[in-house]
Amino acid sequence: MVKKPVKVKDELMEHDFDGIQELDNELPPWWLWLFYITIFWGLGYLVYYHVLQVGDSSKEQYLKEMALAAEMQRQTPGGGMAGAAIAGQEGEAAEVAALKDEQSLAQGKEIYQKNCTPCHAPDGGGTVGPNLTDEYWIHGARTGDVVNTIVNGVPVKGMISWAPILKPDEILQVASYVISLRGTTPASPKAPEGQKVDYSGIN
Amino acid sequence: MQQLETFSYDNRIVRDFAVATVFWGIIGMLVGLVAAIQLFHPHLNLGIAFTTFSRIRPVHTNAVIFAFVGNGIFLGLYYSLQRLCKARMFSDALSKIHFWGWQLIILLAAVTLLLGYTTSKEYAELEWPLDVLIAVVWVIFGVNMIGTIMKRRERHLYVAIWFYIATFFTVAMLHIVNSIEIPVALFKSYPIYAGVQDALVQWWYGHNAVAFFLTTPYLGLMYYFLPKAADRPVYSYRLSIVHFWSLIFLYIWAGPHHLLYTSLPDWAQSLGTVFSVMLIAPSWGGMLNGLLTLRGAWDKVRQDPILKFMVVAVTAYGMATFEGPMLSVKSINALSHFTDWTIAHVHVGALGWNGFLTFGILYWLIPRLYNTKLYSVKMANFHFWVGMLGIIFYAVPLYWAGVTQGLMWKQFTGTGYLQYPLFLDTVTQIIPMYMLRAIGGTLYLVSAIVGAYVLVKTAKSGSLAAEEKAQAPTLAVQKEEHHVKNVYGHRWLESRPVQFFVLTVIAVAIGGIVEFVPTFLIKSNIPTIASVKPYTPLELHGRDLYVANGCNTCHSQMIRPFRSETERYGEYSKAGEFVYDHPFLWGSKRIGPDLHRLGGKYPDAWHYNHMLEPASTSPGSIMPPYPWLFTQALDTAATAAKIRAMRTLGVPYPEGYEKFANKDVLTQAQQIAANLKSANLAASEDKEIIALIAYLQRLGMDIKGEKTAAVK
Ligand code: HEC
Repeated sequence: MVKKPVKVKDELMEHDFDGIQELDNELPPWWLWLFYITIFWGLGYLVYYHVLQVGDSSKEQYLKEMALAAEMQRQTPGGGMAGAAIAGQEGEAAEVAALKDEQSLAQGKEIYQKNCTPCHAPDGGGTVGPNLTDEYWIHGARTGDVVNTIVNGVPVKGMISWAPILKPDEILQVASYVISLRGTTPASPKAPEGQKVDYSGIN
Repeated sequence: MQQLETFSYDNRIVRDFAVATVFWGIIGMLVGLVAAIQLFHPHLNLGIAFTTFSRIRPVHTNAVIFAFVGNGIFLGLYYSLQRLCKARMFSDALSKIHFWGWQLIILLAAVTLLLGYTTSKEYAELEWPLDVLIAVVWVIFGVNMIGTIMKRRERHLYVAIWFYIATFFTVAMLHIVNSIEIPVALFKSYPIYAGVQDALVQWWYGHNAVAFFLTTPYLGLMYYFLPKAADRPVYSYRLSIVHFWSLIFLYIWAGPHHLLYTSLPDWAQSLGTVFSVMLIAPSWGGMLNGLLTLRGAWDKVRQDPILKFMVVAVTAYGMATFEGPMLSVKSINALSHFTDWTIAHVHVGALGWNGFLTFGILYWLIPRLYNTKLYSVKMANFHFWVGMLGIIFYAVPLYWAGVTQGLMWKQFTGTGYLQYPLFLDTVTQIIPMYMLRAIGGTLYLVSAIVGAYVLVKTAKSGSLAAEEKAQAPTLAVQKEEHHVKNVYGHRWLESRPVQFFVLTVIAVAIGGIVEFVPTFLIKSNIPTIASVKPYTPLELHGRDLYVANGCNTCHSQMIRPFRSETERYGEYSKAGEFVYDHPFLWGSKRIGPDLHRLGGKYPDAWHYNHMLEPASTSPGSIMPPYPWLFTQALDTAATAAKIRAMRTLGVPYPEGYEKFANKDVLTQAQQIAANLKSANLAASEDKEIIALIAYLQRLGMDIKGEKTAAVK
């Protein structure tokens, strides 16, 4: 760079606009450096990602993130990617047993209150959806059936699949809680729907 | 001695714009406050379509940008330009047409937006007749300004005028290019761009509306009113030159930073990032020139509310223009985008920079226009402090809300599940912050009302000096001042307006051209997907209802390539999926969840219940109910015109299809009505809700189930 003669500070320009004057100050050096640095950074960025293509594209970043997550899943006991198959395949429905311990039921109740009450009422008496306290069941009364209904939903009737939202253990908890409501007396029970079920001898 | 010409400045037009500024400012803020309250109390809309969040949110943004700040620009510009040119405005008639034309646009804008006539494109929501009107009035303003510059009695153009010139040409370009659309009815049109291209053009416009409507004209005003109010010389003429040219050249490129991690090609996203970061210094050039001009006047700042407003304004400008580039860095944007962080960011700019500078100018100007003193310095100080408090109470909770929600969306459990799979949980978490924000907004509004009171009282205590006499020699007899330093050769340019205009237009055109041309012409930028088909006519109607009801103010349709998003919403969005989307509906804020892969997620009956009362399926939801969709009949008379317009735009509906399209409308509607009936919901097939459900069920279905191949 050419060395400039020492500048006088705050020298007035010999001109004014409607009384406004301007000083002939140099650009603040730190400001100029900031500008140069951002320009170099910008050039470097473009070269890194698009000329040399060293940096990952958005898609490559995504694939790496997914691969890493999949690897971690394999190493985590009890882990699974959300949306993966959940207990309660048809053949095994008879095998699933409801949880009875207080903690699980309390958790099930909490999940129920948060997600299910708009359609089944806080006490299980049913509104849009059927009454859960009576002996009549549309999609089966075994624990496995209830789990299945929660997992798959009943799309034609407006019930969604909860598999993407609730985790497997949560689904079992809330199903168990629903089963624990049997025989209670809701405030305004909905008329029975489905088939009458004899509870004896089923899970 | 040179002969002097005597003339007078038109102060009446300045006063008119000042009144409009304050009036619309208060209206715009009030609407904003109502919208803010609806986010924790949706029923404040009183069950009326016109007052629902999704209709009033665009009214708020348009009102504060184009009515409050717009009139603010004209108020300051008409005052300063006359004095800097030592000339009266070119034409009193044009001034009047400009003023009334602009107010008419604002009024029509408010009415049409509330009625649901909207293009959905942010800050460009107005439909085509208004777009035409805006273009005409803007050109009238431009002619008036350029005419004034041409008949000036001051050889050189002061830096404020450079900024005004850049504003005029750039806004004209942005508005016209972004508003090219095909009318299908008096208040309905489709943009000629689709999907990715529409998004790029829109955010080139949207970002530069911030740049050339909220920033450059206000920098011009700062360069006039701040040295005037402080009675100090501008810190550095050289800095003015360098930061002006670098600012206007670089700004235009930065639009894609609104589209990071979207389906926009990566190279365009990178340009957005890079040019945003390079903007830090040019922006700070303006802040420095403002703050350093106040050197030696700081004791005055303590006394004078006018300078206080200006100092905070310039500081807020500096903060916002540092934060903006940071938010343009992809890794930060990944967290901040779609959250309230963005809302907090823009309000630091709007309330701090634009709002406070406007009030500072008004407090300086009104006593001068009315030959009197400010009615009450004490109340002006009160305005300042309550306004400050308002900004803090507005911004801090929203920063908190934005970061909190952004982190919650991304949080996984140790076993690999989303920690908060229910989107609503991330909303209810930040409701208290929304309440605090409304308190901040209330404070700011109250402070503005106090300000209006002080200004009115001030005006009442004096009388308007409508014509202000002035004298100056004509340009012809003035000699070029060769003894004045020709810094960077710029002195030369400043006395040649036409060359100045041409250079400005070149500087602001380049960025857009470089970004648009490849995106529009090179096929690989938007890879085609064979399974992507045009919407059925019923879905198309549903889509238009989605737009008319402003669902896009709360819902995005853009799943970013993050595990946290693909787990929540499904496969990330691909450029090729949007080729028939006129307009694109990617959204900019997720008050509700993304909807791009909504199709098939819920049964029709769920949507029916949810749209009628969101809280029935989603307890605690802040989404407003849309009961009018259940009573209004679908307007099938428009089907043919819509199909024809879409075909003109290249959507492959067969020739003559418009004649039979309504048959398909009926068949599909009957199917949905039948689905609803089987769930015991009595819905007749001719209602708008049926079309909306058809559209919602279509979303993302073209490539449902496909996943990006994993790396080996
Ligand atoms: C004020 C913001 C807001 C507006 C406006 C809004 N929504 Fe919502 N929406 C939400 C919120 C919050 C949720 C999440 C809670 C819920 O399910 O209601 C949501 C959820 C949804 C869902 C469920 C998505 C899912 O995957 O669970 C759909 C569908 C939906 N909205 C459609 C619409 C449509 C259609 C419109 C326009 C007519 C609209 N929304 C307008 C805020 C909004």
